[in-house]
Formats: sequence, C-alpha cells, structure tokens
Amino acid sequence: MRHVVVGAGTAGFNAITTLLSIDPAADVTLVSAEVPYARMVLPYYLSSEIEQANVYTISPERLAGLGVKLELGRQVVGLDRSAKRLLLDGSAGVEYDDLLIATGSSSVRPPVPGIDGPGVYDHWTLADTEALRGAIRPGAEVAIVGAGFIAFTIVNPLLHAGCRLTLIEREPHVLPRMLNAGAAELLEAWLSDHGVRIHTGAALERVEDAGGKKRLVLGEAPDSRLPTPDSGVEADVVIVATGIKPNLDWLRDSGLDVGQGLLVDERLRTSDSAIYAAGDVAEITDLVTGQRAVMAIETAAMEQGRIVGAAMAGRPLFYPGGMLMNVIEAAGLQAASFGDWAGAGASEGFAAGGHYRRYVWAGDRLTGAVIVGPARQLAGENDMGMLKGLVQSRKPLGPWKQLLVERPFEVKKAFLAAGTVSSLLPQTLLGLGSGV
Amino acid sequence: MTKVLHITPERCTGCLRCELACSQMQTGGSFQPAKSVIRVAPLEAHTSYAPYTCFQCAEAWCMTACPVDAISIAPTGAKVVSWERCTGCKLCTIACPYGTMFLDLDAHKAFKCNLCGGDPACARACPVQAIEWLEGETQDWLGAFAAERAQRDLASVGAA
Repeated sequence: MRHVVVGAGTAGFNAITTLLSIDPAADVTLVSAEVPYARMVLPYYLSSEIEQANVYTISPERLAGLGVKLELGRQVVGLDRSAKRLLLDGSAGVEYDDLLIATGSSSVRPPVPGIDGPGVYDHWTLADTEALRGAIRPGAEVAIVGAGFIAFTIVNPLLHAGCRLTLIEREPHVLPRMLNAGAAELLEAWLSDHGVRIHTGAALERVEDAGGKKRLVLGEAPDSRLPTPDSGVEADVVIVATGIKPNLDWLRDSGLDVGQGLLVDERLRTSDSAIYAAGDVAEITDLVTGQRAVMAIETAAMEQGRIVGAAMAGRPLFYPGGMLMNVIEAAGLQAASFGDWAGAGASEGFAAGGHYRRYVWAGDRLTGAVIVGPARQLAGENDMGMLKGLVQSRKPLGPWKQLLVERPFEVKKAFLAAGTVSSLLPQTLLGLGSGV
Repeated sequence: MTKVLHITPERCTGCLRCELACSQMQTGGSFQPAKSVIRVAPLEAHTSYAPYTCFQCAEAWCMTACPVDAISIAPTGAKVVSWERCTGCKLCTIACPYGTMFLDLDAHKAFKCNLCGGDPACARACPVQAIEWLEGETQDWLGAFAAERAQRDLASVGAA
C-alpha cells in the first residue's frame, strides 16, 4: 500500500506520525513545498524567544530515518485520479494507493493599490517570519492590517521588540471571528491603555509611499462606528493579516467536490474514497453546531491528521467533527473562545478588572463560551480548560446550569458537581489509548 | 498496575499543605501556591474542600495538542512538559478539558502535574490521607462529593 501525504504542516505531520506509530513499516511518501515546522510557534521565533531550530516539528533526516520517502521543496501541480498519480513540478510525479491532501492555506492580501510594494509583509509562513525579523527594530512604527487571530499572535512579540503598534480592522471590532463585541471591547480598551492604537470599522483603500515610510489610506467601512483618521496611518512596517484561503487551485481540474474547502465525509474521505483531506483545506463538520465549516485551527488539523493516519494504517475511525477553540494573550489580557461562542441566547458576566464570561446554551448544555481576563489571574484558575471540557463533553448540567448563569465565575463548582469528569475520562480521539 | 493519585475528598480539611508541597516541587524549593498544580477547591462556603489535579488522562489532550512535541509520557504514566521545547503558546491550556494545564507567566512555559517522578509530594504532605499514591485506575474523585457539598449554592440560585 503506497501512502502519499501532501503537505508537511500540522495535519500532514500528525497523519504520518500516527500512521507510523501503528504500522512502522508503512510505505509513506511526504510531498511538501516547505520543510515541516509549527506555525503556532512562529510568533516566538519572531520575538527571538526561541531559536529557529525549535520551530521545526521534525527534521528531514529524522523522517528519512523513519523510512519516509521525501519530496521536499516540490510543488504539487495537479492530480490524475484515474492513474492515481500526484503531479509535481519538474518530475513524473508520485503514484499512490491512498492520498492525504493537507496542503493548508495561504495568506491573502486585500486587492488595493500599493499593497504589494516593499515594506509590506505577511505573517503566515516561516519565510514571512524571517523577512519580518529583518524589518522590525525598536521604535519602529508597525501597522497591522486585519486585527484577527494571526495579528493577535504577534502583538506581544512586536511590543516586546519596542515597536509602536497600530491595528486596523475592517469589522466593527477586533477578533471578529473569535470574540463577541462585548469581549472585544474589553480587549480594545486594555490595549489602548497599553499604547496600542486601534482603528475599527476602517477599510484599507491604498498604500502609499510617504518619505521613506508607508501611508495607509483608510476609508470608513460600511458598518463603522468610529471616524477614520483623515491623514491615514503612517508606518515603517506594514503587516497584512486580513485572512487566509485554502490551497486548492492545483485541484481545479481534479473533479473532487469542493465547497469552501474539500468536502469530506465522517471519515475525512473526499468524493474520491482513495483520497482524504485534513486541516485548512478540508470542509468538515463543526462538532458543536453540526454545520459544515473550514476550521483553520491547529487543534482541528492535528485531530484530522491523526484520524487519517489511523485510517491509512487500516483503522478507519469516525471523526466526530472539529471544535472551535482559540486563545490569545496581548499585553497581559487573555481571551479564549470555544465552540459556538457567537451563538444566541447567551448568559453573561462582567467583573471589575477586565473579567468577562459569555455562555451559550442549548437547553442545559453549554455549547459555546468566551472567557476574558488578566492572564495573571486566569493562570491561577482552572476555568478556561473546564469551559472547553463542558462544551466538548456535551454534559447536561441540569440544575448546575442555573449556578453558571447566576454566578458565571464559579465554573469549577458547576464543572465538578455536574460530573463532567466522568464524561470526559473515557473520551479519546482514536480510541487507542494514549501515546498514539 | 499503575499508581494514581487517589483522592478521598471527604477527608480533606482544606489545610493546603498539598499546594505548598506541590509548589515546592514545581519551583525547585519555594513555597508559592500559585505555582502548585494541585488546587484545593472550596465548597459549601469554605466549610468543605477537595483537592483537584491532573488525571493523567488516556487521551492526553495537552500532549496531542502541543505543536512542538514538548509533552511526553514518563514511565509513571505522567504527561510531562519539557521546558526545553515548550514555547508558551498556550494551546495545551485550552486543549485540556479538565483545566489542569497551567501557564507560568514568569517563565512563559506550560506546567502541569508530573507525579513528582513517582513519589508525589502532595500525597506525602497530606496529613489526613485525602491524597494517596495507590495502585488503581484514575476516576472522577470529586463529582459526587461536589454535587452534595454544593447543594447550598444551588439553593441560593433557586435551582435546588
């Protein structure tokens, strides 16, 4: 059985390690444009808290030592499904019996004049981080266009590097795909107090050169609450973090069913049963809402990779679906959200000092949660993980729901008393016990 | 047969010696309950207590979520964080559904119960055997106890 994995990111890497842990003699080929590294830790490399060596998940030598055949630095250009052949640039390609497509996603810039000029950076790939490391210096004015999760992963590194920071967001508030308005406003106020300038409801119209600097000319987004600065925002360094899109162009003629991403079934098979998809290219089921979604987050990619790895090793498993979860910390304020965090019919709680909770309910089950608070105080509690546990376990809370509604900061009591631990302990992703 | 931290919450008096002993192990000598990975939960308006720590669960959500392979399984079954590899990305702290993965904000590293290499300090420090190091299976040690000892809280929110 010839197994081929395209993409060495989280999904592809986890598929290979899981496959080899079950079947060490498996015939595996890894095709990837990049060497394997962990995107999650690039911000810590940007700030030089870690060495470049700590960015890599596994070395090509170690992969080769495990018997993995490597096609690194190669671009996939197409798929010939009738011949079961993956087409690569500059070679005959690779034949497969089963194939995992885990080609991830790419950052996209808004199509405005001047956006591709020098002095404008992305922060998505290792190469992006390397370029940005060469550009930032103490005292530099840095503007980030797009104040979503990716932008927030580099707020601390840029502040620690002594940069002066401006965030520009088209939506009415920062982190529009991670936090509700109430939570985001706490974060905006906190960051303003720490010297970060924020323009929300501001659409980038063009990027101009301005005497060695860049000037970002902003227009009012349709739903803006705030006036945008007439003179625009001047910056030494511009970072674009407005979004990503799945890397699917090479599959245009493949005939595979595509929605927002590659459509997969409950075993992560595409419309061709010899081909799996996982990670940022896969349109999966949201565990909590039951809706189809491309869930471009690390934990979902990891789980899908492991499910596919087990399937390739002859242990087909049911993937219950991905659960949204994100956490950021900026200038000492931490925020996290889980599951259907934006859902309607939520209960809320505020406390002085920047503490906030939002709970989304389906009957007496918690289906989504938002938690905000100073990192130092949240670090002392067990709440954040317990909220994840409540959403993940789908534990009916019975009367304990009322306790969480009335006293939203007493998570631990409700979590324990409802018997959530009993529901969680038997849960394993692969049903194989730990270590796989 | 593996050993587990066997917790009998009915015996806990809330003396917090386990937190002190744990923090001493975690920090390499100082008594800082904030650095303890066993936490005593007060119930019934601080008249009942229960120690809570990592279950060393079968899935090891923290370990599988780690993007840099910084968490591994020790011979004791403990999931152990390598600070050489941990970058402080916090992913494990949201992946652990038990809330037993912590972040050290001074070191910017994750930390958790490592079973003290097979001789847990919390169990040694507990004067009433509420925490014992025994052969057996991990289980939900606190659920029934917490449900019983939080009835007053339920009544106070009109849900008893």
